[in-house]
Amino acid sequence: MKITLYPGCASEGTAISYTQSALEVAKKLGLEVKEIEDWNCCGSTVTSSVIGQFAADVLAARNLALAEKMGEQDVVATCSSCYAVLGNVNKKFADDKFKANANDALSKDNLSYSGKLKVRMLLDVMYSDVGLETIKSKVVKPLTGLKVAGYVGCQTVRALREFDNCENPTFLDGIISALGAEPVQFSHKLKCCTGAMALSSPEITISTVYPIIKSAHEAGADVIVTPCPLCQMNLDAYQVKVNKNFNTQYKMPVLFFTQLMALAYGLDRKAAGLDYCIVSPNEALKNWM
Amino acid sequence: MSEVAAKDNSVRKYDPEFTKRVYQMENGKWVKMCMQCGICPTTCALKEKMDLSPRRIIQLIRAGAKDEVLKANTMWLCTSCYTCACRCPRGVPMMDVMHDLRHLAVENGIKHNSQAMAEVYAKDVFKRGRIWEGGLTLNYGLKIGLGNFVKMALDMQDVGKGMMLHRRLPLLPPKGVKNPGKLREVLNRAAEIAKEGGH
Repeated sequence: MKITLYPGCASEGTAISYTQSALEVAKKLGLEVKEIEDWNCCGSTVTSSVIGQFAADVLAARNLALAEKMGEQDVVATCSSCYAVLGNVNKKFADDKFKANANDALSKDNLSYSGKLKVRMLLDVMYSDVGLETIKSKVVKPLTGLKVAGYVGCQTVRALREFDNCENPTFLDGIISALGAEPVQFSHKLKCCTGAMALSSPEITISTVYPIIKSAHEAGADVIVTPCPLCQMNLDAYQVKVNKNFNTQYKMPVLFFTQLMALAYGLDRKAAGLDYCIVSPNEALKNWM
Repeated sequence: MSEVAAKDNSVRKYDPEFTKRVYQMENGKWVKMCMQCGICPTTCALKEKMDLSPRRIIQLIRAGAKDEVLKANTMWLCTSCYTCACRCPRGVPMMDVMHDLRHLAVENGIKHNSQAMAEVYAKDVFKRGRIWEGGLTLNYGLKIGLGNFVKMALDMQDVGKGMMLHRRLPLLPPKGVKNPGKLREVLNRAAEIAKEGGH
């Protein structure tokens, strides 16, 4: 299967381990991945409040115009926020007035977009297109005995509501099971981590992240995995603050689901990007490293 | 109704022009769709910390209560988690309405840390086409003022240390788009079209 990858800005910084491990895992699964050439930031959900919704939409649409030049295969985002933004803009191209106006603006860069591509989230592609049987067939080190909290977060299943169930999602848990691990059920599986607010209102993020880690811990999880860069960063980097503020001693490693796949596929520590984890995963994952 | 509330009501200013202005914004049409059922505040991730609930904000926009709406912290605390949008029986994308309200608040001279962050972010997009996560923190710090930044840096040093030690904050900007000038032309044209009402 061919896909056009939209890596997003976090792929080069805070979520470098996500893209790295996703590309390694894609190789094992025989996915042919090509990055959108000259892609730009999707604008996330924050840019529209500065430059207005329409300009922010056009900013995101530039990526779709570039992707269309590369062929008709699906555009796949790794980041939940990029997926939400690109997917929502893609839908707007069904409206002729919007399409004409967006293409008017894009023509300043000699670009245009028909609206015909599909925007997908990597988690959905893994589950729906690659399939659990294939995911399972590549496992060389089954993660037997590892309890995993699949933290889906907010935008992943809710932003477009085009895959999985937005109230009771099962795709992530399905992948966790296919790797031989045990998905645990916890109350805060779908709660928001407050995303980009981590920098502007850190005290809110700390108090929001606390019950997420707490519920995963109480459900017996050894690690948390997530498909979203902001969820990973907030749970991982802010855990030290949670421990200070709430007088707890959590040492809950937080990984991207592709890192867990890389581990089960026998890829080394570097390919799985484990050294980028702030809370050390060494103890929890020692049987598979 | 209590005396205090009655007194407040007697001085409340209603501005129908404000309602029209919100309706004209890109996501303004959704404000008309709300049927005040109250699902959004019951699902909202940060409702407890908000001055006014998302439902109340819509009600006050329709009433033209400009000051109350624009001074509320509600739109700044929307995390775009989509929970309300997922459950709204009318399919209102409340977070998009909130983003429009942030834009409008800034137009009216109201500032908030979240907007400072958004502005730093958008500036990077204009400059390079992609954001530099390492530089965002620094530029945000400069935007909120040195005193506030030092306080934040001291308070959050353990978080920053974790990020730095694990090479999660790039010290140099990654490459941007090939021709950021062209991207700016695209965005400026889009802003023009929006201004003419062509969104």
